[in-house]
Amino acid sequence: MILKILTVAVFAFLYVPIIYLVFSSFYDDGFTFRNYEAILNDRNVTTAFFNSLNVAILSTLISVILGTLAAYSFKKRGHFLESLFYPPIVIPEITEAVALLLFFKMLEFPLGYYSVLTGHIAFNVAFVYVVVYARASSIEKSIEEASYTLGANEFQTFTKVVLPLLMPGIVAASLIAFTLSWDNFIKTAFTTGPGFNTLPLLIWSQAARGVVSPSINALASLMLLISIVLSYLYVRISIREE
Amino acid sequence: MKLSLPAIAYLAVFFYLPFAIVVAYGFGYPEFTLKHFFEIFNPIYAQFFLNSFIIAAITTLLCLLIAYPVAYYIAVKSKKWKNTLLILIILPFWISFLLRTYALMAILSKFDLLFTFTAVIIGMVYDYLPFMILPLYASLEKLKVSVIEASYTLGAKPLETFYKVMVPLSKPGMVAGCLLVFVPALGEFVVPTMLGGVSITTLGTLTWDLFIKYHNWWRGSALSVFYMIIVVAAILYYIKRVGRLEI
Repeated sequence: MILKILTVAVFAFLYVPIIYLVFSSFYDDGFTFRNYEAILNDRNVTTAFFNSLNVAILSTLISVILGTLAAYSFKKRGHFLESLFYPPIVIPEITEAVALLLFFKMLEFPLGYYSVLTGHIAFNVAFVYVVVYARASSIEKSIEEASYTLGANEFQTFTKVVLPLLMPGIVAASLIAFTLSWDNFIKTAFTTGPGFNTLPLLIWSQAARGVVSPSINALASLMLLISIVLSYLYVRISIREE
Repeated sequence: MKLSLPAIAYLAVFFYLPFAIVVAYGFGYPEFTLKHFFEIFNPIYAQFFLNSFIIAAITTLLCLLIAYPVAYYIAVKSKKWKNTLLILIILPFWISFLLRTYALMAILSKFDLLFTFTAVIIGMVYDYLPFMILPLYASLEKLKVSVIEASYTLGAKPLETFYKVMVPLSKPGMVAGCLLVFVPALGEFVVPTMLGGVSITTLGTLTWDLFIKYHNWWRGSALSVFYMIIVVAAILYYIKRVGRLEI
């Protein structure tokens, strides 16, 4: 009984702030959509929205291609280089962020869209690799061997046999990669330059000064909604797979 | 092997090379000196280290105390609610610290708690709790109810069962959870800045100041190298203790 009360209390602690945030985004002397209208008409918000979307889509696409190829090739033959894919996941983001910042400074590479994108791909590749690799190792070798026996070459075997089998893993990895990039803050903050804003940076610029405003509540709620939808899709896929 | 080369090359250039540059700057690139490491241990920075350590330690302890019963409840007692509760624990992993901390900020400001040490601790526990619950759940899940019942049958009292049966069996989860909370918490930047304001200075805020405000690449890199040593030590400790690294 005590356990049950405690568990309920902990879940309330985790979710009340989020629910409160969403409620207050619709509140301004009564129920209203005004906060949402305000952010949709704000040029800064729309620009940042498309920047975020752009970086998230491109970094997902590139990292999925690189990560899937690597997962497939290591699944066929293990190699000590495999372990190169784990540190980007384990190491605290802030150390990676300062490392990238120094790297770009040293090359005198202008900070902005390309530096942010480059950084996002770096951690996404590692996450895609781990997720797709898990899927790849569940594919039995005999299936590929059958494909070769039936006369398919390596390319055909990959596109017509392996890729369809990897698909659930690739979709799951894409969802993770997109989400990580979409609401990434720390690495973006360290590697961005003047004029390139994403939605998390926009929220930060207000929130870091302790400002809680109705329009930021609306923006945060929208971002929250997107994260929840993506995670819901992910759960659906992984449940179906089981 | 050939197919993995693009990804490996990418990580080599945009992940490993940058780390090598940090190490080089920490040692005073373009010269070679250890003075930047001495600089970060200057007494003026002692408060940053101390704050980080205290905040990370309190956060880890509170998370462990709160998460253990919750993980136990989900793993052993929840029955038909189990999947729902699990999804509710995994969901926060999909929402960034920035958003979650912002959500908490709105409530804390209502209670006039913003920019206090208490606010930082509440925020840290709020953000890191799922990282403790999940590994604890994973190890308690494996623990069969029959083992606990056996302990009672053999005459052990609840407290004895907890200390002598459950704690030893769930140790891998406890070690994993504590490291997953303590190590990132040491370098945490978002929570102390948003909820603590300028008054709470930590390794995370110091890193930000050294790099973004003062452009002191050398001192910043030395600090980063120091933090990385702690991270690597924690990972090695975990591998030695639990025997493998599972993600």
